[in-house]
Amino acid sequence: MIHFFQVTKRYPGGQTALDRVSFEIARGQFVFLTGASGAGKTSLLRLIFREDVPNEGQILVNGRNVSSIPPSKIPYLRRTIGVVFQDFRLIPRKTVFENVTYLPRILGTDSKSQKKLAYAALRRVGLAHRGNAFPLELSGGEQQRVAIARALINEPEILIADEPTGNLDPDLSWEILRLFLEVNLRGTTVLLATHDRDMIQRVGRRVLTLDAGRLVNDQEIAGTDPPRLEALSPATEPAGDSAEAETP
Amino acid sequence: MSLLKALRYFLREALVNLFRGWKVSLLAILTITVSLLVGGAFLLVSRNLLASVERWRGETRVVLYLQPGASPEVLHRLAAEAGRAPWVAAAEAVTAETARRRFQESFPSLSDLVEGLGDEPLPASIEVALRDPGRRPPELRAWLDTWRRRPEVSMVDDDREWLRQIETVAALLRGVGIALAGGLLAAAIFTTASVIRLTAYLHHDEISVLRLVGATEFYIRGPFYAEGFVQGLAGGAIASAALWAAYTLLRLRQPNSLVESLLAAQFLSGAQIAFLILLGGAAGLTGAVMSLRRESL
Repeated sequence: MIHFFQVTKRYPGGQTALDRVSFEIARGQFVFLTGASGAGKTSLLRLIFREDVPNEGQILVNGRNVSSIPPSKIPYLRRTIGVVFQDFRLIPRKTVFENVTYLPRILGTDSKSQKKLAYAALRRVGLAHRGNAFPLELSGGEQQRVAIARALINEPEILIADEPTGNLDPDLSWEILRLFLEVNLRGTTVLLATHDRDMIQRVGRRVLTLDAGRLVNDQEIAGTDPPRLEALSPATEPAGDSAEAETP
Repeated sequence: MSLLKALRYFLREALVNLFRGWKVSLLAILTITVSLLVGGAFLLVSRNLLASVERWRGETRVVLYLQPGASPEVLHRLAAEAGRAPWVAAAEAVTAETARRRFQESFPSLSDLVEGLGDEPLPASIEVALRDPGRRPPELRAWLDTWRRRPEVSMVDDDREWLRQIETVAALLRGVGIALAGGLLAAAIFTTASVIRLTAYLHHDEISVLRLVGATEFYIRGPFYAEGFVQGLAGGAIASAALWAAYTLLRLRQPNSLVESLLAAQFLSGAQIAFLILLGGAAGLTGAVMSLRRESL
């Protein structure tokens, strides 16, 4: 699903963010990406959804070489990848419903289908009743769940999360992590960057460890206290629009 | 998303942005309004002046004034001679007495001036109507020069000379108007560009989300282009309305006056109003495109 071949990323100042990183993530896997601050986690994630391009090496996402995608085709790649950030990136002047339905609106989905999609995505993260609220009326955990609903609304093939629990207390972090694991149960490939080693130890799964831009460890670990999960119901129902569709 | 849906979305977002940031939007609209108002005013004045020229052109005559004391025989002989030229439609002999009577009829309050002077105070003349007043072939000019040199003729007055001067003034006015409006429009484009850039900055967070979830550049920039276009259209419409208000006011305040007949006999045509409004739209759109071309949203 995601292939990195000898990927190197250097920033204009000369700082090397990633140094000949190679790995492969199969479809449906759940992978933690860990390392200290500045190890290169965010740089690696940004390369996957083509927020940045590598200086050397190749990156294949779902069979597509993202380094060579022309700029006009980048949006179509991004529609297949859900992204969640530590700072939620919600628009405070828009309601939860409006924040969640950006992608359906871009795809030209009619408003009735948008509502259905939003309701399903919000129900999936336990916030179906907060559609008309504004982000600042929600707790941090709820805001992050809205961000996850936004990422999931069109059933992405890949879900990327960059320190999604970084701003949350341990209980909320656990709750959010459960959501990602449940999404993964339904077949979505999840790559979650975190520096919370305790959480990783508890959950288990495959772990990629970066140190100063180099991939120093790639191992599968058994969790000490893995959560009991239930596969979540589908977030979306067919709405007649494909994320890959060529739209304005 | 179909193009129609996208355009509807752009327009809706543009209107929302206009109302949310109405103060800065108003600034852009007003600068466009002022520039188009100035341009439109010059257009209106020159249109009316040229219309007056066209109206007068049909009434223009060449008048050959004879020396004082010229006899009626000389007058009629010269009138007959003038009437034989191929470009002359009619040559009317006006005796000194007729000239005095016309003066008294036209200016009753000044009739005393030409009374009791003994000899007729005004000269006899020949009023020559041309077949085609708009044309001025070299033969006609040579013919008029011949008349100027005749000893019986004291002066040749060609109405078309001052019509040409008015035409030159109208053309000059139009040129000055275009230059002035062009300069102001450039300033308006710059203002619109700044307003759109500010709006884009205020929506930076939303733009980053749109880009993240896979919106195309067209979808992201479209609402800003629409906003510039709508601002321009609004400026053009307000300028047209203000111009019409000024025109109506002038006609109400100065009915049947020289000013009215010269400057406000008719309003801009429908095509000219449409041009003015669309020019505003084009200016707003240009400002928006310019502002976002250099911006990495």
